[in-house]
Amino acid sequence: MKRFWCDLQSGEAFTTGQLQLRREDILAFAAEFDPQPYHLDSEAADASIFGGLCASGWQVTALVMRLLTDTLQAADIPVMGIEAVPNLRWKMPVMVDDTLHGKFTVTSTDAESRQPGCGRARVDIQVNNQDHKPVVELSAVLLIAHAEQGVHLGTA
Amino acid sequence: MVQPEPYIRSRWWEDIPVGEFHVFGSHTFSELEIIEFGKRFAPAIHHTDPVQARDTLYQGLVASGWHLTATWMRLMVDYMERFAQGVRDGRRNGAGMGIEDLEWFQPVRPGHTITFTYEITEKPERLIRNRWGVIRSRNEAFNQYNERVMRFNIDILAERNPENCQPDLAVQ
Repeated sequence: MKRFWCDLQSGEAFTTGQLQLRREDILAFAAEFDPQPYHLDSEAADASIFGGLCASGWQVTALVMRLLTDTLQAADIPVMGIEAVPNLRWKMPVMVDDTLHGKFTVTSTDAESRQPGCGRARVDIQVNNQDHKPVVELSAVLLIAHAEQGVHLGTA
Repeated sequence: MVQPEPYIRSRWWEDIPVGEFHVFGSHTFSELEIIEFGKRFAPAIHHTDPVQARDTLYQGLVASGWHLTATWMRLMVDYMERFAQGVRDGRRNGAGMGIEDLEWFQPVRPGHTITFTYEITEKPERLIRNRWGVIRSRNEAFNQYNERVMRFNIDILAERNPENCQPDLAVQ
């Protein structure tokens, strides 16, 4: 059954699926968006602050969105995007073949948002690697639809 | 010919001034890029299907917010690279530590041209792993109508002058 903004409860917790990051994923994202030596070149990465080839932090945040989107869609909750990230910390680099999984909890909700037709759901998110070490922690304001979409066009 | 200040990335943390302002550049988001990014990272129809997207609350395709942050990174790397004076061994590049107050204000649609600005706002007094300092910046993005579409603050590491980090060696 479809669940809209009003069906979300503060305190509700979700567990995401898993995503594995392969070398070619890291290299492809870096070539397009973050062409720095430690994301592109193993030798340079070994000498860098990270100590090895690792994913761009922005690839990690994009993958957080993928985990959130997949989890909410699987729960039949119409996620319409993200409005804000009040804070975010990259805790550890994500290395080749790391597997990410996360959990998030709804901390509060607002009926209004910047996007008409959506309410806000504030969530605290932690994403861990396969060793259960946190790689990124953030709070986010997600946009959740109030009702089935497409209806508003009927009046045109 | 007098060159402009060329050593932006290769400067030590100590030599980077609060208040410095840069325009990293602009990027026009194509429909194809928006869909490509959406399919990989935010597979909702307002990011992936230009026809069905018309029936959503956005009334058309919009870019993922994380597509904007990733594009900010690309333009920053390109901009800094032009001034990096061959520092490409990966050691001097600092890592991002965290972000605060990231907000998206307006949807970005196919064909929109977004301009990214960067201002150094603070240098927190921290020494990390006896080698790195923190540069805090305020970053904003504007569309072609001069509407602000995104804002965030980010802490990035910059290498400190070794003379300030290794007193045992510097004293000799």
